[in-house]
Amino acid sequence: MRETPNFTGWRAAILHREDQTTERLVRQLTLFGFDVTVQWQPLDARDLPDIILVDADQGWSGLLPWKDEQAPRPLIALLGSEAPGRVAWAMGQGVAAIIAKPVASSAVYPALVLAVGIHEERRAVADKIAHLEERVRMRPLVHAAVQKIGQACHVNEEQAYGILRNCAMKKRLSMEQIAGSILGGAEPLPEAG
Amino acid sequence: MSGAVKIGILYSTTGPYGTMGRDCRDGAELAIEEIAASHPGRIEPVFIDPEANIDRYLEGARSLLRDHGCRHIIGTITSLARKEVIPLVEKHDGLLWYMCPYEGFEANDNVIYTGGCPNQHLLPLLDYLLPRFGNRPYLIGANYVWGWEMNRLARELVEEAGGAILGERYLPLEETAVERIVAEIEQRRPSFILNNLVGPSSYAFHAAIRALAVRDPGFRPENCPVVSCDLQECELTDIGLGVATGQLCAASYFDTVVSPDNAAFKLRVASRFGPGRRISSLFASAYASVKLCAEAIIEAGVDDPATITQLVSAAAHQSVLGPLRIDPQTHHAALPFHLGRISDDGGFDIVTSLPSIAADPYLTGQRKRKAPQLRIVS
Repeated sequence: MRETPNFTGWRAAILHREDQTTERLVRQLTLFGFDVTVQWQPLDARDLPDIILVDADQGWSGLLPWKDEQAPRPLIALLGSEAPGRVAWAMGQGVAAIIAKPVASSAVYPALVLAVGIHEERRAVADKIAHLEERVRMRPLVHAAVQKIGQACHVNEEQAYGILRNCAMKKRLSMEQIAGSILGGAEPLPEAG
Repeated sequence: MSGAVKIGILYSTTGPYGTMGRDCRDGAELAIEEIAASHPGRIEPVFIDPEANIDRYLEGARSLLRDHGCRHIIGTITSLARKEVIPLVEKHDGLLWYMCPYEGFEANDNVIYTGGCPNQHLLPLLDYLLPRFGNRPYLIGANYVWGWEMNRLARELVEEAGGAILGERYLPLEETAVERIVAEIEQRRPSFILNNLVGPSSYAFHAAIRALAVRDPGFRPENCPVVSCDLQECELTDIGLGVATGQLCAASYFDTVVSPDNAAFKLRVASRFGPGRRISSLFASAYASVKLCAEAIIEAGVDDPATITQLVSAAAHQSVLGPLRIDPQTHHAALPFHLGRISDDGGFDIVTSLPSIAADPYLTGQRKRKAPQLRIVS
């Protein structure tokens, strides 16, 4: 189970012209413990807040200082329009949740919790993909090291693989790392058994 | 201001929580009568009874707001009914006065909350229980958001304190088949039982635990208490006098609170409803809420929610719950905490009390954390 969210001390930016929407949002966000700023100009990429709420009805490219949907912070769209182009704009910025306008105060907290959760999930998935890509890229090294061990120790491929894996576990390195070391000569060839 | 201002009273006096609804309605009625005596012709109540039918809450609220022209509704007991009514209240720019203890995580501009949220009942309750009875409770609750959220929070707090939850079960309000849960409790032997059941299921559970304690002294209240956050004096006769003796409950008010205000209040209640009427926190909160609402309307000379909210949150108001202060940001009342032990004669003996606690509906003050260090994913 997830623990009770706590936004005390977090910074939130609302990118929206000041009106009743921002008034209601500021009230709710302040209750949740946020420090809130409201602005209707591009965000400073060097000083990003912890969470961003953006007017997706009026937002333009350049309002958010990143490319594509790679939002570096949890992003929430404030959306009254049903126009597919506006929904697409929001998706293109990387939104993780929507709060419909006019804002019902009960809609704010769930959207924040959802956006933070989705953002964390996306980061975890991106990290995992990067890690797997690295391993796929290094896979030929593992294969080459298995061949080398097999020849040196006169064992079959399966046994050679077992030797390499034991070696990686002992050194607490990944298979790819130990394979690279062996092939590069930085690591002596492991003994059989 | 000419003519009487109408205020809506929306409680179910029948159905699984009818006992509670009748206490709320009686508390509201007493306040209305007192206002009528001191300010004749100023306030006119409109009573609607949805009979625990969720659709009829919506119809009732619509009728109060649209047909009767009420801007203020005192009412709803369950969170389900409150959530149902709020959008209408917002649409008509009204004010809902909600005076039951609830699970928190809400602070609506169009609601005044006088019943207490978890930092005013559950948190001090666990603070009391964990060092005295142990940190391995069993959780039971009504099968809707009150039970689910109270137990979720209890689990989090108990586990943070290094404890463990020995079981967690849910029952519908009217379900009285508690045997399997009680058998599981008997087998797992928890430190205490946190009871967030509501209505008949809660009464059946108390009776079954009583029977268990007769067989096994380990389950007597002094060893393994059943502890609630919403049990009312008016329900103790439904449970049966003596059945739940020794069990514990948290509340912002008990009939047995010793104060000059309460002594005077009890005399007025006795003269209106007859001697022997035990006053519950629901009765007292409904009474205090109607009083607060009506007196503010009379003082302001208008009934628009913004003016009334500003007026009631500007200062503390003397009430039977003690000085009642409504926070201008959260719209929640600061409330005292009392822990009561059920007595043989259908009341609560007060075990311990804390002075008024400001409401923290989103638990922002708990376990302060540092802001997240998010990195840029390029």
